[in-house]
Amino acid sequence: MYPQILFQNRHPDRVATLDEYRQSGGYKALTDVLKNFAYMDVRQTIVDANLLGRGGAAFPTGMKLMSVAEDAPFPRYIVCNADEMEPGTFKDHVLIHADPHMIIEGMIIAGFGTLAEHGIIFIRPEYERAAGILEREIVVAKEANYLGKNILGSDYSLDIVVHRSAGRYICGEVTAQINALMGKRPNPQQPPPYPTTKGLWGQPTVLSNVETLACLPHIIRNGEQWFKDLALTEAGAGTKIFAVSGKVNRPGCYELPMGVRLSEIIEEHAGGMIAGSEYKACLPGGASTGFLPPEHYDVEMDFQPLRDIGNRLGTGAIMVFDHKTCLVGAALNLIQFFARESCGWCTPCREGLPYIRDLLVRIENGEGEEEYIPMLERMCKHLWSAYCAFAPGAVGPVESLLKHFKGEIREHVSQKQCPFK
Amino acid sequence: MELFDCGFGIADCGIINLMIAEFSFFQSEIRNPKLVNGPTMPKLVIDDREIEVASGTKVIEAAEQLGIMIPRFCYHPALGSVGACRVCAVKFLQGPFKGVQMSCMIEAQDGMVVSTTDEEAVDFRKHVIEWLMLNHPHDCPVCDEGGHCLLQDMTISGGHGTRRFAGNKRTYTDQYLGPLVQHEMNRCIHCYRCSRYYQEYTGYLDLGVMRSANRTYFGRFKDGILESPFSGNLSDICPTGVYTDKPSRFFGRRWDYQRCPTVCINCSLGCHTVISFRYREARRQEARFSEAINGYFICDRGRYGHFYTSLESRPRSALINGRQVAIDEAVQAVHKKLTQIRQDAGSLAVAAVGSSRSSLETLFMLKHLCRVNDWGDPVFFMNQGITAKVQTAVTRLEPELAVSLREVEKADFILVLGADPINEAPMLVLAMRQAQRKGAAIVVLDPRPVSLPLEFIHLPAALDELSVLTANLMKGAVDRTAAASLGERAAESYDAAPDGDWVDETWRELISGVTHDLQNSLQPVIVCGTDIVPHQIPGLAADVALLLRAAQKRAGLFYLLPGANAFGSGLISDREGSFLQIIEGIENGDIKALILAECDPWREFEDRKRLEGALEKLELLIVMDYLNSEAVQKAHIFLPTATLYEADGLFINQEGLVQIAAQAYEGGQPIVQSAGGDHPARIYGAGIPEAEARPAWRMLAQLADKNIEHTNDRAWLADVLPEFASLPSMEDIPDDGVRLQSAANADLRFKGDYASPFDKTKLQDDHLEVILVDWTFGTEELSAYSSCLWELEPEPCATMHTSDAESLDLSDGNRVVIETENGSLEVNLRVAENMASGILLVPRHRRLDWQVMGAGRVRISKNSIRKVG
Amino acid sequence: MLPDDLKKSLKERIAVVDHPREMVVDIMFAIQEHYGHLTDEGVEETAQLVGMSPLEVEQLATFYTFIYREPVGRYVIHVCDSVVCWMNGFESIKDYLCRKLGIRDGETTPDGLFTLLPVCCVGYCDRSPAILINKKVYGPLTAEKIDEIIEKLRLGIQGFRDWESE
Ligand SMILES: Cc1cc2nc3c(=O)[nH]c(=O)nc-3n(C[C@H](O)[C@H](O)[C@H](O)COP(=O)(O)O)c2cc1C
Ligand code: SF4
Ligand code: FES
Repeated sequence: MYPQILFQNRHPDRVATLDEYRQSGGYKALTDVLKNFAYMDVRQTIVDANLLGRGGAAFPTGMKLMSVAEDAPFPRYIVCNADEMEPGTFKDHVLIHADPHMIIEGMIIAGFGTLAEHGIIFIRPEYERAAGILEREIVVAKEANYLGKNILGSDYSLDIVVHRSAGRYICGEVTAQINALMGKRPNPQQPPPYPTTKGLWGQPTVLSNVETLACLPHIIRNGEQWFKDLALTEAGAGTKIFAVSGKVNRPGCYELPMGVRLSEIIEEHAGGMIAGSEYKACLPGGASTGFLPPEHYDVEMDFQPLRDIGNRLGTGAIMVFDHKTCLVGAALNLIQFFARESCGWCTPCREGLPYIRDLLVRIENGEGEEEYIPMLERMCKHLWSAYCAFAPGAVGPVESLLKHFKGEIREHVSQKQCPFK
Repeated sequence: MELFDCGFGIADCGIINLMIAEFSFFQSEIRNPKLVNGPTMPKLVIDDREIEVASGTKVIEAAEQLGIMIPRFCYHPALGSVGACRVCAVKFLQGPFKGVQMSCMIEAQDGMVVSTTDEEAVDFRKHVIEWLMLNHPHDCPVCDEGGHCLLQDMTISGGHGTRRFAGNKRTYTDQYLGPLVQHEMNRCIHCYRCSRYYQEYTGYLDLGVMRSANRTYFGRFKDGILESPFSGNLSDICPTGVYTDKPSRFFGRRWDYQRCPTVCINCSLGCHTVISFRYREARRQEARFSEAINGYFICDRGRYGHFYTSLESRPRSALINGRQVAIDEAVQAVHKKLTQIRQDAGSLAVAAVGSSRSSLETLFMLKHLCRVNDWGDPVFFMNQGITAKVQTAVTRLEPELAVSLREVEKADFILVLGADPINEAPMLVLAMRQAQRKGAAIVVLDPRPVSLPLEFIHLPAALDELSVLTANLMKGAVDRTAAASLGERAAESYDAAPDGDWVDETWRELISGVTHDLQNSLQPVIVCGTDIVPHQIPGLAADVALLLRAAQKRAGLFYLLPGANAFGSGLISDREGSFLQIIEGIENGDIKALILAECDPWREFEDRKRLEGALEKLELLIVMDYLNSEAVQKAHIFLPTATLYEADGLFINQEGLVQIAAQAYEGGQPIVQSAGGDHPARIYGAGIPEAEARPAWRMLAQLADKNIEHTNDRAWLADVLPEFASLPSMEDIPDDGVRLQSAANADLRFKGDYASPFDKTKLQDDHLEVILVDWTFGTEELSAYSSCLWELEPEPCATMHTSDAESLDLSDGNRVVIETENGSLEVNLRVAENMASGILLVPRHRRLDWQVMGAGRVRISKNSIRKVG
Repeated sequence: MLPDDLKKSLKERIAVVDHPREMVVDIMFAIQEHYGHLTDEGVEETAQLVGMSPLEVEQLATFYTFIYREPVGRYVIHVCDSVVCWMNGFESIKDYLCRKLGIRDGETTPDGLFTLLPVCCVGYCDRSPAILINKKVYGPLTAEKIDEIIEKLRLGIQGFRDWESE
């Protein structure tokens, strides 16, 4: 059993209370930070802990805080990204249901790191219950003076509100989310200016994922070295919540050290493949990562090792496919999702994805042609020149299908039908 | 700051490259602020050719300077770059960016090597075109954009000739957008130009983008007339045929038209346009880029204000007492009769009236004609007092003060003094909006309920308060030393100008905030109206601009004038003369003959009853015009004149730019009228039917016995205004015009009496001052003939302040009758909070008998307004 | 027309925030809740409350999945069709629902009770196949469970088998 950090207060049937959180050491970090830290030190600690964002982009959180210039204008904002719309991903949701105060404390610490006055939790509508929990616990935290004016007697004040989205995948992207929060269409916006210079309402804004923020109290409390030591990989840091789903016996969320092997996750923690199923591939980090073929079954689940094999850790949402599942069908389903969720701003994404979908539909229906394969290859490549990161992510599965499972596509074409039907 | 937000860490990710580059720049920006300025003139290589460009130039623009046209859809110079369409992709070979990137999104930097022909970039662009064509209906044969369609061009030049996509096309339902713009959403390529133009550039919020992904839809919340008076630009700005020009729908291809660059004469700004004729019918007008004036756009009044030229009802033949005669016969008859009258009753028995919609040639020739005959000087304005104000503007617009419309965009503070821009000169609003988007503070000092599609501070001061408030504002921003640096008179005038104590308490706080902005501004512009303002305001505006310059600001002055050639009229007007005097002269029998050269007092003069009474006494009424005006109906002798499009003509806009409007076509009756729609006409004749109309000035020259051999001989203009001797000849006048210098007179500085106190109690008595005002649509003479604009006119109404309405027990929407000495006017009442009290605003609307109001500053008793129905 | 007390409470909520626009989604939700879907009138009312033009509101209303611009039933059944549920047979779940309710995707039952709509991954992949009914999640689903759920909903009992219910 690995140490449970983020899930230390997780109960199968209920939400941890403030008291429980406090008993486990909760809000100690905040007390410490407000008493003994200059806000600049908070940033440095996080930089040193080598915490990489858990929202899928793996951006160094410390660096993000650092980029809010000392003389940047006020008010500044801290936004917690609880949109979690990446298919296969449900870790933030579980975390909120497990221990909301950990996230709140993390937000306050990150907020203090940039002297933010306003905090916002952006949450998808499907998580209405989680939104309610957060709202309730924010009030509790406020009553305990962890939030509001002069937190714990310090000079620092922060309020947090919950913002309910009305649901679109692109709202998870930082700049789109900022637009959404301002009552604008949630189209992404290419920097510069960067949100940390000019974000929400034109003010410096730090936006981080739920899981990322939840790490902060622990880093402060136990030190950066401790955090780095949690990982099994040399360069990695911390634990990671892996949301496992698909053809395994025990789908669910598992907090494991960063760098744990995929095989171990599937076999030990997720209870192995379901009876009669063989591992064929998985998406290691959400819908915008690539299919991981059996040869990488033992890969260390950390950002760099996955990058090394041309894939991504993404959100750490592992979707496991078995040998009976048609990966052309799976890729088609994923593209269908992305085509539907495209914001419609740029041409490659808005029109290219439906094109790719059309080609895949034909292949899956046995109407495919051999020439579709190079067409798909080229189009996927060109989707990297879209406006935002959505489109390159969207073609991740198809690209990996073309790379690792071209044979399966060819079978569809030559047999003029889906071999799995 | 999402360096790895695409997070994929794969080296060839374009976005990552972009972000890394931007991020490292960003980092250096934090650490070493000096770097931000960087080299001022980056040098880069595009397709093996080196070019140095101004910093901030986008690569797509740098290429354009080399003559390389990188494809684009979403990029537009006026709207900037947003990187949506992705068709401007090029390959960056060296420098801070690598790989296929959008040339519109990246600023030129030193050391960049860019290829527009790189195979990968070309292939990407081809794909973009293919993607854009997936859902396009390919309806070019019936599309009005066909032939000047950017999408068509790109599809052809991109080589996309074979359809590979086997899926279905998406279809949309179109919307009714009003009489000017036709909607056809299936053609949309989602470049977002329309929504960006409409919302960001013009500031109207009733057209935009709905839904998402490939269902994205551009249109309105519901069917309905577009609210923006700049909506016609949608047809110009849309790179394909989603928005097309409705009045010219299905009438012709771009190449079918006779197209000619011209200027707009529907207000004093003189925007540049292109007029298109087909079968002798003007059907379409588009904006023409002008660096100095309108930029890329024009307003709808200008765009659609040309239909008078081809109207069936346009009088095209000369008439003597209603009898059709050859035009030369009519001219000779006029000549003979005038000579007769002059002989019988002396030279002062003939009077001439022109208008500022005429070309400079006509204005000058009318003046010449009057001079050679010793008649009184011609009058060009019918409203009392306007002449003096226009002349003040003309003489006070010193060249270094004058700013162009485009320069207004660069202002950081704009004071609008006694003007209502959207109604008087719509395009000014777009310039103001661009200034405001860049952070300029906008202050409007005007009694009317001014409404603008931008953030501004409105000080709805009474007319008599304008000078005091302006002087006060100036005093807050300019100190005495600065004023004194302009000389003794400036200092005296400064001292005499009223300060804080004069200002009413209600204004004090508002003024002080505004003063602060003015004080901090570097490039303030004063926009000054000449229509409703008291006589001293135009002069005051110039003095304030001078004082601001003395206070080290690059201050500018921008007058609005009543009419396209008001500047030209002002140049040669006699300050003392007025139309009212002419009426008096007729009434007492001194004046026996009247020449109306392209003007219609029935429409323009404020006292219709008196006008009609007087004109009945006239022995001879000569009317020259191209409009079927009431004056034409009443004329004893009528001479048809050529419109702007049928003869070369000069116009001087409100900033003193002499511009040429070249002849666009030969004139004559449109084929649809002469041939009942058949083509060719079934009547055989040697010439163009009904093509008798001549430029008014040619006929005036005949009357003046002035022999002008060549139609393009303009040397004689110098006889009227010597400066014309030094101006380039007609053909050589540059496209952006020539600024007149000689009109300005620095001796007139600081002579005004700005301090005159006013009696506030007067404003609160039981009278209302009538102010006649213009509206964007419905009051301007020429555009009033365009039936497609009628639908856009709001119902004409009189407007008063809430408190006045309350005191009269009236409310918004009431139907009222206003009794005046000359009759009565029945009209709807609008009640507004954001205007001065004590006034009644009446639009000079074509559907309103506002001419009962009477001439001069008219005050009516509140009792004379009562509710009906 | 919104009832006065609702309008008042919405106004109060808007009054306390820095930028009225930030409330636009909340207001749309509230008005949608009132009318059952976001009516044209509701768009206009939202616009008025937050100081935007109706078109500006429409730009958002039509962007988001959970704003319904057309009438929907009392229970909106969103069937997750993303990849994990696909793998676990969402299609048979959907077909079953269609047959049971006698409607197709996007339609509403004649009694106005149920509307069937697709939705992308609802974040309950460990309980796949999953559906969402009025923002409450149900899964993993079988035909029997669906029968039970629909039965209870018809009787007006909600919250059945909600995940992590307290
Ligand atoms: C299309 C798209 C969707 C995204 N969705 C989410 C999301 O639902 N939740 C999330 O935390 N991050 C999401 N991200 C990543 C965010 O842009 C951002 O990087 C992240 O929230 C920052 O937090 P972190 O640094 O803590 O990871 C998305 C990114 C893209 C491009
Ligand atoms: S890639 Fe383009 S269309 Fe797709 S989500 Fe990003 S900006 Fe929108
Ligand atoms: S012109 Fe550059 S992306 Fe459209």
